[in-house]
Amino acid sequence: MNSISPNLVALARSGLVRLTDVTKVYQGGITGALDGVSITVEKGEFTAIMGPSGSGKSTMLNLVAGLDRPTSGTIVVGGTDLSKLGEAGLARFRRDHIGFVFQFFYLLPNLTALENVLIPAQLKGNMATGRGRELLEQLGIPDVADKYPARLSGGQQQRVAIARALINNPTLLLADEPTGALDTHSGEQVMELLGGLHRGGQTILLVTHDAKLATRNAARVISVMDGKIVDDARLESPERAPSEVIRVRSEETPPAGARRAPETK
Amino acid sequence: MSLKYGVLGLLKVEPLHGYEVKNRFEAMLGGTWEVNIGQIYTTLQRLERDGLVRPVGERGDRGKLLYELSSEGKKALDDWLAQPDSGPQQLHEDIYVKLLLATRIANGDLQQMLARQKRAFLQRLRDLNRLEEKARRDGRIDLARLVRGALLHTEADLKWMDELASEHFGTEGAAAE
Repeated sequence: MNSISPNLVALARSGLVRLTDVTKVYQGGITGALDGVSITVEKGEFTAIMGPSGSGKSTMLNLVAGLDRPTSGTIVVGGTDLSKLGEAGLARFRRDHIGFVFQFFYLLPNLTALENVLIPAQLKGNMATGRGRELLEQLGIPDVADKYPARLSGGQQQRVAIARALINNPTLLLADEPTGALDTHSGEQVMELLGGLHRGGQTILLVTHDAKLATRNAARVISVMDGKIVDDARLESPERAPSEVIRVRSEETPPAGARRAPETK
Repeated sequence: MSLKYGVLGLLKVEPLHGYEVKNRFEAMLGGTWEVNIGQIYTTLQRLERDGLVRPVGERGDRGKLLYELSSEGKKALDDWLAQPDSGPQQLHEDIYVKLLLATRIANGDLQQMLARQKRAFLQRLRDLNRLEEKARRDGRIDLARLVRGALLHTEADLKWMDELASEHFGTEGAAAE
């Protein structure tokens, strides 16, 4: 059997996002600090970052987004070393490469849904009204375009926020607890939408507390504790028969493999 | 859970012969509990002996015999359904004892153990999510509901392990004795 040369694989897997020995120290406390974190995220991956509150998982996301700078270490996104960028360069980087979805949506209340979606495009000098409407359509909420955020449900507001995050076709979609403020059903819908975007090729980094939602789409789960990565799990997705996944047990049921022909008495 | 009441419940819907009982029972549980036909016949014979089911008519072609619930059987089923599950919580998996032991054994590396177990349970969540998706796609609502229960159970196990992991105890478990 032919196999691809390891060198070629290494070249192809150079990583869309590379954190190397990243440390973040906060004055006056260790909450949210990072302690020598190194990870590589490939293009097209859907990665979940999980960990307790204050473990540093949101800090990781903010650093990758260029919203904050590390104390030491390097962060490279799409070939750009963020430490080489000044404030204006970082703002451009965020606008052109990052889509960010937050737990509490952060829509501007005095703008309509569509106007909110268009903000990042207009910062680039694009009107993008057509693309904005298209995104709202794609996210299942074409009829909310002209409504104000206060008139929308939490799930609808989060979809508007996702459309806003996608308007500039970001290299990377970052989502920090995007289902944290939603009820179970809306949370599932939002996660389903993120899954759909991933299947369409979008690279996604998701911070969440919800392992059962995360594992719907993320094939990689990074666990963070006290600012360190304690596990980096790549999950498999084979088709398994129900009995390989769940076994409903009974005292009368013999163990698997012990099936016998009926006895006659 | 016993097969006995599963059989009674299915026979309350309509009279069935042995193979139909087996097929419907397995279909209801979406393939998560396979029973052999011998167990079904043994169960039916016991239920008949105890007066909870009775044969309907004579043996048909290929010796098939239909069974239906007697009034005693209906009462037994209703009582069982009305009785809430109480009694001790069932914790079947080894992990509970393993982790308690790991806190006691000096070089039992609890954090490593937790990380490995967590990874296995994340994979389990992934498998359950796949199965739920497929069950819903195929319109197998019973199976989807069952998977939902399993998902929430596994989530609870993971939360418990996260609590243990954040306790930072080395040999405190042993010291507490």
